[in-house]
Amino acid sequence: MKAVKILFLTLLFSLISFAPIHKFYVSVSQIEYVSEKQSVQIIMRIFIEDLENLLRKRYDSEITLNESEKESQINEYINQYLSSKVLFEINNELKKFNFLGKEYEDDIVFCYLEIENVSKIKDFKITNNLFFDVFDEQQNIIKTNINSEKESFVLTSQKNKAEVHFKP
Amino acid sequence: MKKLIHYCLAILFISAGLSAQEIVKPERQSGHKNENKFKELYDEFATPNMFRTGSGAPGPGYYQQQADYKMDIELDDVNSKLSGYETITYTNNSPDELKYLWVQLDQNMRAPDSKTPLIESTFTEQAQSPSDFVKKYMKDQLERGFHIEKVTDTNGKSLPHMINGTMMRVELPKSMNTGGKFSFNVQWWYNINNHVEEGGRSGFEYFSDTDNKIYVMAQFYPRMAVYNDVEGWQNAQFFGRDEFALPFGNYEVNITVPADHVLDGTGRLMNRKEVFTKQMMTRFEKAKKSYDEPVVIVTQAEAEAAEKLKSTKAKTWKFYAENVRDFGWASSRKFIWDMMAVKIGDKDVMAVSLYPPEANPLWGDWSSKTVASTLISYSRMTFDYPYHKAISASAPMGMEYPMICYNFGRPDKNGTISKRTRYGMMGVIIHEVGHNFFPMIVNSDERQWTWMDEGLNTFVQYVAQGDFGAKYPDALALGDTEFPSRRGPASKIVPYMSGNQDYIAPIMSKGLNTHQFGNNAYGKPATALNILRETIMGRELFDYSFREYAQRWKFKHPTPEDFFRTMEDASAMDLDWYWRGWFYTTDYTDIGLKDVKRLYVSSKPNQAAIKIAFDEKKSIDDLEPMVYFVEEGSDEYNTSMKNNDPLQNSTTLKEYLMDNFTEEERKTIESPKYFYNITFDKPGGLVMPIIVEYVYADGSKERVTYPAQIWRHNDREVSKALATQKEIVSIKIDPDLETADIDTSNNAWPKEIKQSKFEQFKSKN
Repeated sequence: MKAVKILFLTLLFSLISFAPIHKFYVSVSQIEYVSEKQSVQIIMRIFIEDLENLLRKRYDSEITLNESEKESQINEYINQYLSSKVLFEINNELKKFNFLGKEYEDDIVFCYLEIENVSKIKDFKITNNLFFDVFDEQQNIIKTNINSEKESFVLTSQKNKAEVHFKP
Repeated sequence: MKKLIHYCLAILFISAGLSAQEIVKPERQSGHKNENKFKELYDEFATPNMFRTGSGAPGPGYYQQQADYKMDIELDDVNSKLSGYETITYTNNSPDELKYLWVQLDQNMRAPDSKTPLIESTFTEQAQSPSDFVKKYMKDQLERGFHIEKVTDTNGKSLPHMINGTMMRVELPKSMNTGGKFSFNVQWWYNINNHVEEGGRSGFEYFSDTDNKIYVMAQFYPRMAVYNDVEGWQNAQFFGRDEFALPFGNYEVNITVPADHVLDGTGRLMNRKEVFTKQMMTRFEKAKKSYDEPVVIVTQAEAEAAEKLKSTKAKTWKFYAENVRDFGWASSRKFIWDMMAVKIGDKDVMAVSLYPPEANPLWGDWSSKTVASTLISYSRMTFDYPYHKAISASAPMGMEYPMICYNFGRPDKNGTISKRTRYGMMGVIIHEVGHNFFPMIVNSDERQWTWMDEGLNTFVQYVAQGDFGAKYPDALALGDTEFPSRRGPASKIVPYMSGNQDYIAPIMSKGLNTHQFGNNAYGKPATALNILRETIMGRELFDYSFREYAQRWKFKHPTPEDFFRTMEDASAMDLDWYWRGWFYTTDYTDIGLKDVKRLYVSSKPNQAAIKIAFDEKKSIDDLEPMVYFVEEGSDEYNTSMKNNDPLQNSTTLKEYLMDNFTEEERKTIESPKYFYNITFDKPGGLVMPIIVEYVYADGSKERVTYPAQIWRHNDREVSKALATQKEIVSIKIDPDLETADIDTSNNAWPKEIKQSKFEQFKSKN
């Protein structure tokens, strides 16, 4: 019982502290298929604070985001992290993405990923494990716009995959 | 000129009206209720009464209860334990007879039988780090929650009481009538939580290097619940996230802590000479006259020395606070202490900061100045800050109490102060000091209506941040010209308002029950108020009304209706449609340019004329003379019309002018040359003004705002007929992004082909 209680209290921590900051661990991935360019374009919005927290824990405790130093090193870390946590399968085939870079806006990092040479999409599957290693109640929102059909999903560590299928 | 335009426009309207009447409905429609977005909020608002009037002001029967406290508190630093003995004197100003009193025991939110964890949905992670596992399942901790030792009357006789979660009901020996007073004593203690590890809005932070703690204390004593005309006894339990509702009263508080602790809190320090050294007294006298720079009362060197020595003696700090709704205090031997004076009206107020060496140099440079600047901005927007001091204490959280608040933001361990730390620290100080106004003084029920304090406060914070950046350009990061605000500007709320409807709630929701607390209770209401100020009302009307609200309800308990009504009462603006859309729904703004049609004047009877003739059963030749318009690109249009003057194209018009105006008059008449029918559509549910920028062929621009009421007859689509001297080459809706329009791809004519955000980034890099 005590253990359970402590688990609850830990969960609670991130809910109730820091009154004016976001108390909502969430990332948003906007995925768009641009058929004329044969390209899947992905923009991920992540709170700077969450990402910094993660990179410090995983790679380098000295890192500070958005301070112009070490940005290329930071890009490598982000690429490394995203590559290990986010997987795309298109038409049942695992597809690698290019990490094009990131930009900062207020308290958010925008990460840009692209999958090239996608001539058509019949099935699209994303596995997103972002931040499940650090935040218990992380939610990853996925918004897809593929073949002119819009869908949206909320992924958690219990349900970390989203799939869209299209009629041939 | 004017006359002629009106004539032409009138004809345009008539033809538009005719086509609308043409639509024949084959079946009889069923009736409907009034679902007009401009319908008054009579169904949603409580009926005005003797307590709260229709104007939004307190009514002749308005009352509020009073709770006065006398407390002796003792801190056991070694065991992180707090104990106290308090006497509460409760005054019943209500017209009601009270049989019992309710007291809030907020610490019970952490008690073993707390329902807080039970209302959260949880699950076990499939993969966990060993350190998380240990923290979650294996680490033990002391039991939390209040231990109520006794509840007695003034003669020491035990009073029957019953604890229901975070509330305690105390039975009165006999019912209290109006004006009655009742005093009772409570003796209590609890184990203080480590707020960094366990969370919480108060508690201690542990520093392992010197084995020291910083205590930032609040909700540490049994506090009276609010009894009022709206709710009776406050009955919403404390689950941790939603904050508080408290009556005003006077506090006499004696706090005993280790002798080397530096302590400050709500109220006047009554025994300064006993607890200050001579040197501190001299520095304090100097600080009272220092308006530009803070004066250090306890230096960093003194704090660092105290950290190591650790006195075993105790010292008692005595405070008296008048007309406050709560009491908070911060204490540590790690504290550096500085103060400066700030003129508010004709009074001097002290801006005070408490922070450990770890917070320097950031805090020494900016904390007290930020406090001072905040008091000036908020006093301008509301009323002169009525208390004699405002304290900012350093703790990794952000939380507010009367006269004192706890704020995060310290340099990294290696000494770097990132931009985010810097702006975060200044922003949180402005925000928490601002809470002195909402809800510490304008005392709304935080637990029920989170937006009333967080939203209003975040809105004024936005204004105050602008002031602060302008006053202290040195405070800004290199290259910045203004303080960056992420809440307030309309465009910043778009991602939230365009998001998944399953995860957003109307502002008029209880904070506890919302998914996105930050956007729901802070971001959206702050933005809604900013848009109301800048776009709907204008600063003059808004600021007057907002101040009126703050002044009417300072040291009182307002409800949402009191705010809504006052804003209308003081501005002569019926804003029910705005409250309804922005506060009672999750609708969003999306207004588009559906169509732009150019028209030409023609003397040949067109299809419209044929219809009129048919309807009136006349031949075309028998119709009254008319000016006809032909749409560009229609069957009746021919390119020769394009270059002719409207007068050349219409004999009717020429004749009318000849018959009705003298030659002199005709010379001064200038006829419009260009005619347009512009159709706006509204995919979004919110009604908002249509702000349009017309760009003419000569490069000149004209801004026209069609008030929101343009949508009152048709919520989906409206049109404007325009007659101009110059050709319109482009049109843009909401050019300055001030309405939070979630889709701007339909805002321009001709349609702007915008590069996507992704393509923009790709081509840049």
